[in-house]
Amino acid sequence: MIVERPKAASPVETPSPARASERRVRLMRWGLTLVVVAAAFAAIFSDALRGGGAVYLYQRVQTFVTIFLGIFIEAVPFLIAGSIVSGLIAVFVDQAAIDRYLPKAALPAALVGGGMGMVFPVCECGVVPVVRRLYEKGLPLSIGVAFLLAAPVVNPIVILSTYSAFGWGPVFVGRIVFSFLIAAVVGFLFGRAQPEEVLRPAVCQLHHDASHPVHSHEHDHSHYLPNAPLGLRFRQAFNLAGDDFFDMARYLILGSMLAAGMQTLVPQSTLLAIGQGPVISVLAMQALAFVLSVCSTVDAFLALAFAGTFTTGSVLAFLVFGPMVDIKSSLMFLGVFRRRIVVYLIALPMLLSLLMGVWWNLNVRW
Amino acid sequence: MDVLNRPRFQNALKALALLAMAVFLYTRLASGVLFFYINQRFMAYTIFAIVGLVVVALSYRPMARRDEADGALHSHHRLGWAGLAIVMAPVALGLLVPPQPLGAAAMQNREINVASQARSALPAAVRAAAQKDAADRNLLDWLHAFSASPNPAQEFAGQPVDVIGFIYHDERLGENEVLVNRFVVSCCVADASVVSMVVRWPDAASLPDDAWVQVKGVLQPGEFNGRALPIVVAQEVIPTALPNQPYLYR
Repeated sequence: MIVERPKAASPVETPSPARASERRVRLMRWGLTLVVVAAAFAAIFSDALRGGGAVYLYQRVQTFVTIFLGIFIEAVPFLIAGSIVSGLIAVFVDQAAIDRYLPKAALPAALVGGGMGMVFPVCECGVVPVVRRLYEKGLPLSIGVAFLLAAPVVNPIVILSTYSAFGWGPVFVGRIVFSFLIAAVVGFLFGRAQPEEVLRPAVCQLHHDASHPVHSHEHDHSHYLPNAPLGLRFRQAFNLAGDDFFDMARYLILGSMLAAGMQTLVPQSTLLAIGQGPVISVLAMQALAFVLSVCSTVDAFLALAFAGTFTTGSVLAFLVFGPMVDIKSSLMFLGVFRRRIVVYLIALPMLLSLLMGVWWNLNVRW
Repeated sequence: MDVLNRPRFQNALKALALLAMAVFLYTRLASGVLFFYINQRFMAYTIFAIVGLVVVALSYRPMARRDEADGALHSHHRLGWAGLAIVMAPVALGLLVPPQPLGAAAMQNREINVASQARSALPAAVRAAAQKDAADRNLLDWLHAFSASPNPAQEFAGQPVDVIGFIYHDERLGENEVLVNRFVVSCCVADASVVSMVVRWPDAASLPDDAWVQVKGVLQPGEFNGRALPIVVAQEVIPTALPNQPYLYR
């Protein structure tokens, strides 16, 4: 198949509904920033009035900046790697191959998506641009959702780090099995959904073009250019990687700020003192995982610190829920999915891992 | 038309933003400040990020005016002022606020581990700590060693201690006592927890929060917050510079 250079890709010709929603997203982004900044200031100032004044305030700001940069610097390599993979997929992967080899029925799709992390070992920052690109290539919804949720845990690197922290045992086995199951269940639930209900309009347009190639004559966004010279294809891939990076970095940065703000203002002991009950402990650890926003490759070592004092079910919930959803990754989801869907993508794994944790606490004696 | 919308400017802007971020990361790395933020074993990832950012930045080749109309290689992902401001926030904050490792201010928010829980450590780390000579143990090694003992307060009495940490005055401490602390990081500072030892020293009150000290002394049975544990009776408290790696790594 010979594809013309994509001339239709200028901003002037972008379809107007996409532009309107783009404007809405931009407004929302500003609104969110304002809310976060205002909340942070309110909290810092109320503290400052209580405590030691200007010096104290300055130390708080410094702590905030240190934690924010910590999360950001830790995540940037994974985001740029994910973006480069996404760019390479855009340029070198044929849509027809995705169409031909990947299942479309909800159940097999969800199972394949849940296991795809074994082939693409990406963590929760890198997986988002990759999923978005695969959607633009026409990937079925179920596969993408299951992949998005499972890949940060069900991949060789994280399996190894969990093993080195916990060894063979309930936490190690439980983490992998339940991450896979929960991701597959959520993916399966998206089997009936329509792409236009789920994906952001800009992503959806391409997804539609990819899965209905007949209609895409006059509006070809495809970056797959099999006949272009290799140098040009690589340049195109890195260009697209850069665009992806900028799209996602905004969410990553806002998310890191939010996480750092929460950490600076909410004492960990508040969450941890909540309790030891079979239900409450699970909720507390889920909240902690959400707030901390630690990378899935290392959160096992962190969880170890709680293994003695907290119920096994709650430690499991921390290790299963945290990599799927945390402050920074849920903000990054906004770059791929509609807002309503992002709420589902947070709530469903949250409820399912809560169920898992409570069930484990009440029934399992390993 | 907004200047930002012109493809040439978009490309130049994106390339510059990526390069700025790469240079920022490089300066963190070169000055050693990087270890204020992340565990040293992730340094290789940061180097990869710098290379990746530069390669991607260079792929936005400057566009001649005549190519602009063609727009063959430009994309429809537009970077606006708001986006630019957000993306540059880490660089701006990093340059405006002088880098400082976590210290006493961050402790007010965290659990203080003066004797870690029985299973809270890697068994291998506990064994390694037990094999170390008492004088070579850092704060984390000591807590590992304590955690392996049913009655650390008695068992470790009389052992010599030589540790480095920063000062923190906790209101639960007794007279002439102060906490000497290190943050322990497994990934980045977001997951930092703190390990501490109670130090008894006649001049404890004169030591300011966040001052880095080397403490030499002997362990004696004591208590903190109603709990029996070994505390350091200091023979020497020597002010020291901030270590190159302010955190201990799990």
